[in-house]
Amino acid sequence: MRIELHEVTKRFATTTAVDRVSLEIGDGELFTLLGPSGCGKTTLLRLIAGFNAVDGGEIRFGARRVNALPPHQRNIGVVFQNYALWPHMTVRGNVTYGLRLRKLPASEIGRRLAAGLARVNLTGLEDRYPGQLSGGQQQRVALARALVLNPDILLLDEPLSNLDAKIRVQVRGEIRALQQDLGITTVYVTHDQEEALSLSDRVAVMREGRVQQVAPPKTLYERPLNRFVADFVGTNNFVRGVVKTVADGRVVVDTPLGPIRARPGDVAAGGPCVVAVRPENVSLEGAGDNVVEGRVRLASYLGNTLRYDVETAPGLVLKVDVGDPWQHDVLPAGRTVRVAFAASATLVLRDD
Amino acid sequence: MADGAVAAAPGRRALAAALPALGVAAIWAFLVVFLVYPLARVFYDAFSDEAGRLTLENFAVFAADAFYRRSLWNSLLLGLGTVAATSVLGFAIALLLVRYEFPGRNLFGYLTLIPIISPPLVGVLGFTFIMGKAGTVNILLEDWLGLARPINFVYGLHGVLLVETLHLFPMITLNVVDALGRIDPSLEEAAESVGARGWRRLATITLPLTTPGYVAGALLVFIWTFSDFATPLVLGVHDLLASQAYLNIVQFVDRRLFRMGLVISALMVALAIVFLVAARRYVAIKDYSSLAYSRVPRRHLGRLGAAGAVTFLSTVMAFSFIPYLGVALASVGKGWSMTPFPLRYTGLYFERVIVETPKYIVNSLLYAALAVLLCVVIGVPIAWILARTRLPGRDTLDGLNTLILAVPGTAIGIAYVRAFHVELPWLAAPLTSLWIILPIVLAVRRLPYTVRGSYASLLLVHRSMEEAAASVGATGVRSFRDVTLPLIWRGVLVGSLFSFMTSLQEASAVLFLSLGGWETIPVGIFAFYIAGSANEAAALGVILIAVAAVSALAINRVAGARMGGMFG
Repeated sequence: MRIELHEVTKRFATTTAVDRVSLEIGDGELFTLLGPSGCGKTTLLRLIAGFNAVDGGEIRFGARRVNALPPHQRNIGVVFQNYALWPHMTVRGNVTYGLRLRKLPASEIGRRLAAGLARVNLTGLEDRYPGQLSGGQQQRVALARALVLNPDILLLDEPLSNLDAKIRVQVRGEIRALQQDLGITTVYVTHDQEEALSLSDRVAVMREGRVQQVAPPKTLYERPLNRFVADFVGTNNFVRGVVKTVADGRVVVDTPLGPIRARPGDVAAGGPCVVAVRPENVSLEGAGDNVVEGRVRLASYLGNTLRYDVETAPGLVLKVDVGDPWQHDVLPAGRTVRVAFAASATLVLRDD
Repeated sequence: MADGAVAAAPGRRALAAALPALGVAAIWAFLVVFLVYPLARVFYDAFSDEAGRLTLENFAVFAADAFYRRSLWNSLLLGLGTVAATSVLGFAIALLLVRYEFPGRNLFGYLTLIPIISPPLVGVLGFTFIMGKAGTVNILLEDWLGLARPINFVYGLHGVLLVETLHLFPMITLNVVDALGRIDPSLEEAAESVGARGWRRLATITLPLTTPGYVAGALLVFIWTFSDFATPLVLGVHDLLASQAYLNIVQFVDRRLFRMGLVISALMVALAIVFLVAARRYVAIKDYSSLAYSRVPRRHLGRLGAAGAVTFLSTVMAFSFIPYLGVALASVGKGWSMTPFPLRYTGLYFERVIVETPKYIVNSLLYAALAVLLCVVIGVPIAWILARTRLPGRDTLDGLNTLILAVPGTAIGIAYVRAFHVELPWLAAPLTSLWIILPIVLAVRRLPYTVRGSYASLLLVHRSMEEAAASVGATGVRSFRDVTLPLIWRGVLVGSLFSFMTSLQEASAVLFLSLGGWETIPVGIFAFYIAGSANEAAALGVILIAVAAVSALAINRVAGARMGGMFG
């Protein structure tokens, strides 16, 4: 089922939570709304679900305009952040509640319950109450409850935020596999950029009610459209400056670190900008298009990488990742180093 | 300070080390002597004959007597009927207050609390003045409609049901309001997304989620109604267990009747415990604590809906105010009979109960204050033991505390009469001849409120705060004083004020134990009314309501209107 949002707007008393958002979500796509808390991603999901009415714009499921439809007529399945399992009902009661409301025959209800629980590996827990289940199990009951009605669209509101880190990664994989098996159009809300990158077909980054960029994960990470996206997705070093020259697919930016050779962005000569470069693209080997001298302030050993904070100018710290710390002896604080990065690894973004 | 403590003599240090143990021992001694022993005594008497031999004969006598059987049946019926009536009213009001927006919602929220401020004894008086056979309503009906015979609004079981319902429905409302506030909106949205709306969602999702709070409130309503004898007696209803227990005990002449009073008392305690345990069992399997991220927003009622809500609430409140009106009029009305309202007004009755015989007010305040003091001295340490320690017997302590909530005041009063009527060797007099027994019985009755209030506050003070104090050098007592106490005093104060207010109102247990000169306000009300001096009774009732109202305001100020937890 395709979802189309056209100029969708939602205002609360003093704020515009969702501001003229237009999106097209393809059939069978796992589409993620990513952003910091308060950016409007959950509100947008609730508008799609029908829990709140839009103040402007249009929502279409396929050819059908659903603006005025209550949630249960939109044929959606919802998984809430806190799962919203009804504590007074067993797993069976929770999963089959919607089926019973539809007055399906008992045999059909039993069949769908069994299939639904098998799908999320919960067979045998039918008679447990939510309070007797682990967080991961509760999460899967919520998923089974959402899917048992065979919805056209699955809506997930931060479904992993209440789980431990290890289980989160595991359930993340399960959700993705299940979604692809079923080929169900899914809208997924999260504030965790790693989660968004790892399981989405496409991601929309939101800020203050507006969509900043819609792109597949790889594009989002490697070609962010503005400083906000570059900062929110992954880690970035930013150096402010002014574009000096633009020529032959190269720009030169005047910065406190001296001229930086960079890949061109949409900033004309003379315009203020920031140069963004990711820590993993900066090295200590001292050779590259741009080489800057600095002093080590801090070394953080993360296991798979070693991250240095290098002060390259007063108040300007560049993060530098050493990708293979096994082959590297940690440099002490205060040591002078030469950091380098290629022009092809940089981005020139508007400074906004 | 620290230096002083280190330098203290070894003797003092040993004493300091022994103090906590002594304290725990004192608490246990108090509970054993003033709770366990009297109840055990009643049960022993109920299961033995005059010669002290164990027997079931007393219960056989009870079962063989048709009047007792009818009393038991009536009591159960009245209790369940009141629970049903208060549930309907209480739920409807709670839903309106929590889920809907309409003119005057806040005001109605406050007004809902008012019925519990007036003790049932006062409430029933007020009802008789307005709704009685010669009350305002019947007089007006006679004048306007030429009614030949007055309508019997209140005398009989239906009257008891009416009075108890109007007095007790806030217990349900408060608990359900509390429970509704804890339901995360997503639970209802999830129901909506699979197609449950309106009444269906209310019946299958919302109401079941309020079960734990509701059951606690319903249990209190049941036990209260079940054990109240003053209200039925004023309304001329004798065939109830509590009324029978009272009448059998206070006659003091016929030993057989006295023993039957004990048997009934034991039966009441046993039944109350059965209901308590059943309710606990039922609630215990329902762990409804979920993460509530936000509150369900209030829905604005349409013009018609708002009018309906306001009408409904106004009607309920108007009925709840009848007793206040009646008592207020009777307290100042001179020669009020056969007219809708008094013809002349006087301050005579107030003068009589305040100036001429100030003992009612003086005794009430003295006993209630002493009772609260005892509650704090015993209750706060109990709360601390429950919240902070793993002392053996902790569960028993918790159980005893809960038991007090279930044991009817009538039964406690009877148990004290029976258990403490023995002469103490060093006094040459029984404890029942000393007025101190009244503050003690009040303290025992109200202990759970203090314990619960303090316990809830202690749970909010994370243990790490005390540990942090210890890490910078504060000893146990010191960290309690400097860190814990400042953080929990509010809860303790709320519990104490509530205990104070309800101690003033306590009629059932006190009526059994009160001797000449010890009369409290409720005892005075009962005595005046039974003796036919309804105006003096009303004047005392007004005073009692005024004191309770001030206490309630104070509680509201301190606790911010969250009294619901007190009854959990």
